[in-house]
Amino acid sequence: MKADLVVIGSGPAGMSAAITAAEYGATVTIVDENPIAGGKLLGQLYEDPNNGWWIGKNVAQALKEKVNRLGITCLQETEVWGISPHWKVQLNTGHEIEATNIVIASGAAEKPVPIPGWTTPGVMAIGAAQVLTNYHRVKPGKKVAIVGVDPLSLTVAHELKMAGVDVIGIFLPPSDEFSLHRSHPKQMISYLSSMSQLAPTKPLKLAGKLAKNRLIQNIGAALYPRNGLKVWGIPLFLRKTVVAIEGNEQVENIKVTHVDSNGMPDRKNVKAIEVDTVCLSGGLSPLAELAGAVRCGFAHIEELGGHVPLHGPEMETTQQGIFVAGNITGIESAQVAMAQGELAGTSISARLGLLHDEADTHIKNAQNQVKKAREKSAITFQPNVECGREKLNRMWHENLATFR
Amino acid sequence: MEEITVQDTIICRCEEVMLSEIINQLESGSETTKELKLKTRAGMGMCQGRTCRPLLEQAVSFHTSNAIPCVSDLTYNTPIRPLALGELARYGKDL
Ligand SMILES: Cc1cc2nc3c(=O)[nH]c(=O)nc-3n(C[C@H](O)[C@H](O)[C@H](O)COP(=O)(O)OP(=O)(O)OC[C@H]3O[C@@H](n4cnc5c(N)ncnc54)[C@H](O)[C@@H]3O)c2cc1C
Ligand code: FES
Repeated sequence: MKADLVVIGSGPAGMSAAITAAEYGATVTIVDENPIAGGKLLGQLYEDPNNGWWIGKNVAQALKEKVNRLGITCLQETEVWGISPHWKVQLNTGHEIEATNIVIASGAAEKPVPIPGWTTPGVMAIGAAQVLTNYHRVKPGKKVAIVGVDPLSLTVAHELKMAGVDVIGIFLPPSDEFSLHRSHPKQMISYLSSMSQLAPTKPLKLAGKLAKNRLIQNIGAALYPRNGLKVWGIPLFLRKTVVAIEGNEQVENIKVTHVDSNGMPDRKNVKAIEVDTVCLSGGLSPLAELAGAVRCGFAHIEELGGHVPLHGPEMETTQQGIFVAGNITGIESAQVAMAQGELAGTSISARLGLLHDEADTHIKNAQNQVKKAREKSAITFQPNVECGREKLNRMWHENLATFR
Repeated sequence: MEEITVQDTIICRCEEVMLSEIINQLESGSETTKELKLKTRAGMGMCQGRTCRPLLEQAVSFHTSNAIPCVSDLTYNTPIRPLALGELARYGKDL
């Protein structure tokens, strides 16, 4: 098989890249491991106070219809296991696709929260609970505890509640080498209050407001009510942590204790609380293994979620013809992922000579759209993501000479 | 009410490597995720580190006080997804 462009991943970034390049006249193939196109969009469902309901499933469907209309080949339920030089994309069906340009839009993975007992059946990642509830319309459990306080866990807690699940509380992760500031009550309060202006979703806005409340700011973490404050009827425990998950065949209970304002647990007074499901939210990290295996240059940038492939203003990596878009470049919202996909698709169309002497204008426009999407889309998963982007740009320019 | 008892926990679920094993290795001189992988098999399982990589990197960084390196020491290799021998045979070439 041959194509001008192979896109790996049919999330918002991948489909947008494919659509843009195909609209300019490129022949495009998309490969995705899931039976349905849409990536993480499929689980997203929340009310945005400025723009109304964000229904990811519908956004995915609209993109997929465009993909079909443009005659883009879409290989679902197909995994890419490697990319060999200049460039051949290897599929688990035994086939390979040859292309001069590739977009890797593989998205992000959830970081585990290794609380003792975290591999017991009934423990799941918060993203799994999101997809079960919003997409498959299946309750993940009857009595659910959530561990980890961040935009995703707060949003999903609200969704679970709306679906009629008994969410007994949102807890801090235990203080250890993995949770760092995420187990720290003071830092979580200031993080939540920093979100109150940006917060795009109703649940986030509420949590932000709560933390920003003058009383809470003044009394600070030391006096944050031990029994939590309720957001939409769900206790938000910024002074309690889950130190273990127990159960033989299935989760039966969690072990909970109080923490001081620095996150240190009270080791003496541990209480067992009965639950049948635990959702863990450890944050997201870019899924960059394919870029790593084809030896793209990398940077480790905490603000972007971890290891990201170095890439320039046109989304090209240090390997000529290999582009990236979406969460693989850093954890941001679906709107940013789509704009990045369009930029990658535009840059590639320029390389293919499809934009003639308009190339620079089109690329500039697409770059501006990314900027705008960033300003508008308020879901920020990572604090200081802008600072992370600047670091990455600096490293790209510093490294340019060594790679090219 | 009970007391917290120190409990071990799994870090690499594919290879069932416990945190205590990782810490033992770090205390006996391992300084990179690659060394941990060679000594304990953490990161060498079915998912090729997709799940445990961030944990291994954090553990190393915490116990050695070194920043997480720009390029992961836990190298990414093809195939990045589990591949059945039958599929490889169909591909008909050497890796
Ligand atoms: C659990 C979770 C919840 C989120 N919730 C929100 C939210 O509520 N709102 C929001 O704005 N953002 C949310 N995000 C951020 C979200 O990732 C972006 O909104 C957006 O979906 C990212 O788009 P993407 O195209 O980069 O990746 P994705 O949407 O993740 O799509 C990547 C696709 O590539 C496929 N893929 C990866 N590797 C391979 C391979 N080797 N072979 C074949 N296929 C492969 C994946 O299966 C997937 O279908 C969430 C992220 C996660 C992880
Ligand atoms: S969890 Fe360690 S290799 Fe899969």
